Amino acid sequence: MKRSLAAVLGATAAISLVLAGCSSGDDDEGSAGGPQTLTLAGWSFATTPEFKTLADGFHATHPDVTVELKEYDAANYDTQMVADLAAGKAPDIYAQKTLKNFYTYQNGKQLVDVSDVAAALGDKVGGIANYQADGKTYAIPYRQDSWVLYYNKTLFAKAGVKIPDGTWTWDDYATASKELTAKLGGPKGDYEHIWQSTVQGFALAQTQGASIESGNFGYLKPYYDRVLALQNAGAQVKFGDATTNNLTYQAQFGKQQAAMMVMGSWYVATLLKQQGSGDADKFDWGFAPAPQLDKSTTGPNATPVTFGDPTGLGINPKIGKGKEATAKAFLQYAAGPDGAKALAGIGITPADTEAVKDTFFQLQGVPQDDLSKFAFTKHDTKPENPVSKYTAALQNILSDLHTAVMSGSKGVDAAITEAQDRAKNEVLNK
Amino acid sequence: MLTPYARGIETTRELDMTSLPLARRRRGRQVLRNTAIGWSFLLPNFAGFVVLTLVPVALLFYYAFTSWNVFGGAEWTGLENVRQMLHDASFRTALRNTLYYTVFHIPLTLVAALALALLLNQRLRGVAFFRTVAFFPYITSIVALAQVWNMLFSPGYGPINAFLRGVGVANPPGWTTSADWSMPSVIIVGTWREMGYYMLLFLAGLQTIPAQLYEAAKVDGANSWQRFRAVTLPGLRPTTFFVVVMLTIGSFKVFDVILVMTNGGPGQSTLVLSQYIYQKGFVENQFGYASTISIALFLICFVVTVVQFLINRRGSDS
Repeated sequence: MKRSLAAVLGATAAISLVLAGCSSGDDDEGSAGGPQTLTLAGWSFATTPEFKTLADGFHATHPDVTVELKEYDAANYDTQMVADLAAGKAPDIYAQKTLKNFYTYQNGKQLVDVSDVAAALGDKVGGIANYQADGKTYAIPYRQDSWVLYYNKTLFAKAGVKIPDGTWTWDDYATASKELTAKLGGPKGDYEHIWQSTVQGFALAQTQGASIESGNFGYLKPYYDRVLALQNAGAQVKFGDATTNNLTYQAQFGKQQAAMMVMGSWYVATLLKQQGSGDADKFDWGFAPAPQLDKSTTGPNATPVTFGDPTGLGINPKIGKGKEATAKAFLQYAAGPDGAKALAGIGITPADTEAVKDTFFQLQGVPQDDLSKFAFTKHDTKPENPVSKYTAALQNILSDLHTAVMSGSKGVDAAITEAQDRAKNEVLNK
Repeated sequence: MLTPYARGIETTRELDMTSLPLARRRRGRQVLRNTAIGWSFLLPNFAGFVVLTLVPVALLFYYAFTSWNVFGGAEWTGLENVRQMLHDASFRTALRNTLYYTVFHIPLTLVAALALALLLNQRLRGVAFFRTVAFFPYITSIVALAQVWNMLFSPGYGPINAFLRGVGVANPPGWTTSADWSMPSVIIVGTWREMGYYMLLFLAGLQTIPAQLYEAAKVDGANSWQRFRAVTLPGLRPTTFFVVVMLTIGSFKVFDVILVMTNGGPGQSTLVLSQYIYQKGFVENQFGYASTISIALFLICFVVTVVQFLINRRGSDS
């Protein structure tokens, strides 16, 4: 009896020690000089090599600093990061995966003021203005993806349809898509992925005066009308079939199920990799500027308007004072020319695209035509999620609008009216 | 054979007065030891319960009256969240959808589970196999289930609509991709998934009904329907009550099936309260308001369960 009592107490003690171990805080180590260790948060390291590239690159120039990576789940990155920050266990440097949650971190005082880094980098870094609040900068973008139009040159040639030439409006795109569908008799003209951004991102970026925060969503209508017409004409897979069958955009374009697709510039690296591994067919492809609302922003002398959120790096205020300068040096490296070159070397679009054009297009398999080069370097990229305290809530309302309209459950006008009412009652006038 | 405690009392009685304090001390030590053993068995579970459930639940009642975005302190806002909730059209939509789910899910699951239990309570060849089959959905990963059901429901290519077209339905429903049919689809999957579990409870309940009652009923000339009405149903009464209470709470709290099958859509057609709480809390970081809705959901479950207990008590008194 006595022995079993001791065993139970021992086990209880062991369990409590394990539980207590979960919450032990990190030591505030290191001052300037001497070896230091920074921790950096990222997601899905197997398919997202950029964090390791940056960590290794920084270590090469700063041999006494080691950057340790901490992996998070891509789909729940912000939820987990918020929890870790609130618990005081987050890494020293963490990425801003989307702009949608920047306000939460910044307003929650979870980001160190890095205005000095921004000043040192100058204006070459795209998307930096999104991370500013009250005249201060709270994160530094190291990559700035922009949405472009991918097209399958092999399928275009087979159908005998003229490939994009940089002058396309959305109407040209719709015409080409229907033509491709009719002539290919199998693959669709285009694939529209299920994300709300594939419609709303362009509508917001390209329409004069459009704003999410205005609570006025009429600017979405022409974009939805066009997409619905394409769906009904059979030129793209229906939304309901894409959601219920969990279609992936990588397979739709990579396996030549569709001849065109609008997608972010991150897909270049993915497609190169998948063509190498056999996950995608081998075919000739290129990318063009995203189709425009009207002709005023098309052609070689204009700057096409598109959208995309930057991905930034911010510093956790709980970092030790001795390490803050090192962390800032890391941010400066990641967003500066050296970091940009390292990123371009693995097919990622850094925030400073002009500086890395040559590196990027030297990659094996990247299309070499002039239009792809134009699309890579020249664009006016507006944020998908303009920073405001209302963005997250308003985007949820717009997501409901998207699924209702795309599934055909609601007419465009009715859905827009409902979303406007909800925006007013539940978010803006709360 | 006496229990150790009772034996202790016996021995005390036999002792003379001089050794009484010693015995009392020994007994005191034994009580202490028994208490310690009891606690040491309880503690691992109880500590987990306190840290991970009791304290958060208690805090919930505080956060419900604050504005809190997880960082920093929560700001006391009094009844502001309640006022917001009463004027929140999305909350009303979520509540309506939750009731819609509950009203259909409870009776459907109850009837299906009972029918399965009656069927599989017979002496059939391979009954163990069929019982396993019926129970299988309950232990299968919900994510895998949702994926497969979504493919079955797929409006363009799914086998269900292919079958419906085959038998002459010109415009088969869009199932999870249509605002009118998404809730029925989720109810079908929810019922299919849970009926095996409740079947098991009913099967256990059926074993407790004495066989003599059926024999007596047969002798009295009752047919099988009359035997079911007069013997089986009253005999299953405690089980049925338990099943209804569990089903009610489960239906009000429904979350996983909806999250993975429709994510509340299309539009808000399958948005339920738990998901709305998740959205407000973990997506929009309004933890104060999410707590308020949680309390509303708690109160609904609580009131309904109390009413069920009252009805049950009145029923068993009569």
